[in-house]
Order: sequence, then C-alpha cells, then structure tokens
Amino acid sequence: MIRKIVYSIFLATIVLALVMFFAAYPFGKNKMTVGEYYLNNGVAQTGASNIVTSVVVDYRGFDTLGEVSVLFGAAAGVAILFFVLAENRRERKNITSPNFVVKVGSRIIFPFILLFGTYIFIHGHLTPGGGFQGGSIIASGFLLLYLAYPGTRVSRKKLSAVEGLAGLTFVLLGLYGLMLPESSFLFNFLPKGQLNALLSAGILPIIYIAIGFKVAAEFAGIVDDMMCEVICRGGEK
Amino acid sequence: MEKAGKLNKYIFTVVVLYVSWILLTATTRADELIVGLIVSLLVAIGSFDYLSEHGLSHLTPKRVLYLIIYAPYYLWQVILANFDVAYRVLAPSMPIKPGIVKVKTNLKTDSGKLALANSITMTPGTLTMDVKDDTLLVHWIYVKDETVEGATKEIGTPFEKYLKEIFG
Repeated sequence: MIRKIVYSIFLATIVLALVMFFAAYPFGKNKMTVGEYYLNNGVAQTGASNIVTSVVVDYRGFDTLGEVSVLFGAAAGVAILFFVLAENRRERKNITSPNFVVKVGSRIIFPFILLFGTYIFIHGHLTPGGGFQGGSIIASGFLLLYLAYPGTRVSRKKLSAVEGLAGLTFVLLGLYGLMLPESSFLFNFLPKGQLNALLSAGILPIIYIAIGFKVAAEFAGIVDDMMCEVICRGGEK
Repeated sequence: MEKAGKLNKYIFTVVVLYVSWILLTATTRADELIVGLIVSLLVAIGSFDYLSEHGLSHLTPKRVLYLIIYAPYYLWQVILANFDVAYRVLAPSMPIKPGIVKVKTNLKTDSGKLALANSITMTPGTLTMDVKDDTLLVHWIYVKDETVEGATKEIGTPFEKYLKEIFG
C-alpha cells in the first residue's frame, strides 16, 4: 500500500515537471533557432550542398574530432579485450567451410565494395553519406573476405599507419586553420568553389576523406580482432 | 579462358571500376571523370587479385555484347517466373511439389558458375543451395523433372546458353 502511494507521488511529480516544462514554450512555434540558422546560412557559409555535412564537419568539426577519438577508443577497447581473453579462450574449430557462392562472390564483389565506399566518402559534401558511412562500407568488404576465406589477415601495421596518417591529417588541417589570422581551430581556409562541384566546400571533403580512411582502418581492425578470436588463434596455443 | 598476368588483371580491374564509377556518378563532368580515374587506379592496386583470374580476356566485344543482351533476357525470365510463382501462391489447390534437384553445368570458370547460381537463385521458384564442381544443388518449388538431365534442361539451360558466351 505504502509502495503504491510512493509510486503515485513519484509519477505525479514527473508529470507536473513535464507539464511545467512544456508550459513555458508556446505551442506550434518553431523553436529550432539553431537549425534554422544552419538551413538558411549553411550553404552560403560552407559551400557544401549537403547541410548535414556542413554541420558535422564545419560547424561542429571539433565535436567530430571527438567522435573519431571515441571510435578509436572503442577499437582499442575491443583489441585489449580480445588480447586479454586470448589467455583462457576456448578452442573453436567447428567452423563449416564457406559455401562456393560466398567464396567466389566475395572475391568478385570486393573491389566494387571498396569503390562504392570511396565514392560515398568522396561525395560526402554533396550527397547523403560521408566518412563514417564510407569507412564502414569498406570495412564490410574486409569482413566479407574474412568470412569467405578464414585464413585472411589484414596487416595490422598497415591499418595502424593508415589510421594514424588520417587522424594526423584531420588535426593538422585544424591546426593550420588556427595559425591563420582571425580564425579558429578547423577554420575552413580553402576556397568554397562552385556549389555541387566535386572540388567545393573547402577543407570539408579533405576532412571527410581522412575520416573515411580512419573509420575504415578502425573497423577493419575490429573485424580482424573478432574474426581472429574465432579463427586465427584457434590453432595456436 | 587462360589465366592472366598481374598487369593484365590490374588493367582489367581499373577498366571495370572506372565504368562502375561513371555509372555511379551518372555524369560526364570533367572533375568526376578525373577523380574517378584516380580512385579506380588506387582501388585496383589493393583489389586486382580478387576480381578475376582471366583479366582482359573478359572484355572481348562478343562477351560484352552478350552481357548486354543477357540483362533484358534475364529480366524477362524473372518476370515469367514471378507469374508462375504468383499462380502457385494464389491457386486454391496449392500446386506445389517442392524438392531438391541436381543441375549439371558445362561452365568452366568460377565466375560463370557463380553467375549461373545467382541467376537461378534470383529467379523466383528456384534457389541454389550449393555448388560442387560441375553440379548445382537447386531447391525447386515445383519439381517437374527429378532426373539430372531433365532438371538441367528446365533450370540451367535457359541461362547457360548466354552465360557460356559471357564467361566461357
């Protein structure tokens, strides 16, 4: 009984708080002043016809740098986890040999997946998609190879090099913007170009290409960690 | 088809990727064409060994012509099979007789067998379950003929007469 009373009071408090919160805002009026600003000025200020990209890479470029770091942390966490688990793992060898269609099909489709992922992140400032999406697509190509050919291994040194160089490009571009007079970190210092042209929007495409490489390398590393837990380390002990 | 050398395979991959890029971007603007060529050249470095063992010998005019003819022909086959399966679904007597049959193929290359297997799978009513050497295991919604020869004639031959020219 007491519990029910406590619950009722708790519920009433939440409802009251919500009502008071929403009562402060007039109904039916546009409250998205920031979004409105981006919509009205985004194309003119950044030169990117994809508004989402102009927000993600230009207005909130610093935030995106943080996101990329979070992804790096996640990839490192996965690697550490599997490195520790490798000590007392179970033997897993009951993997059926991949089907003919998977084997031959993944070989044929792999170059096209790489091309499509590259297409997505090169056109990040023009069409939906960008570095994160393109990078994920490229990593999925590697996943397909791992599934079709259990012996596949992507060189971790090469992945680290790609990842490091891509991250460095991002940060150095940002720092260069900081050095120019009257500017800020990740200042878009290159000419905006013509709208909808491939070479437009200043540094945005360069940053998105760097992000694409970085995300692809990180996800490929995660795929390598996870698939090797199943396959590569199964034999050695 | 004989196996091709590295440079041959690389050029073949670049050509195929570049054509795909042009189809993807659907434009002939100079900037897209130049960037597409650079991307194709770079992507092919990492992936030319995967695409095909036979390289440029895929691109004889006859093979390309047959590939272009095959697309509408295959679409027509799919439409026919769609009506057949729709009839089997809607008819109150439920005229299905599902089963697994063996289909023999004369295609020699892996890519040819894959094209045949996928053509069969994407046609409603038939589904390739596995490929072993020159035999395909196909699940069929209405087994008209249980023998290997009969099933091959019903399922494989309509596609194979074109695929034989495209993939050898």
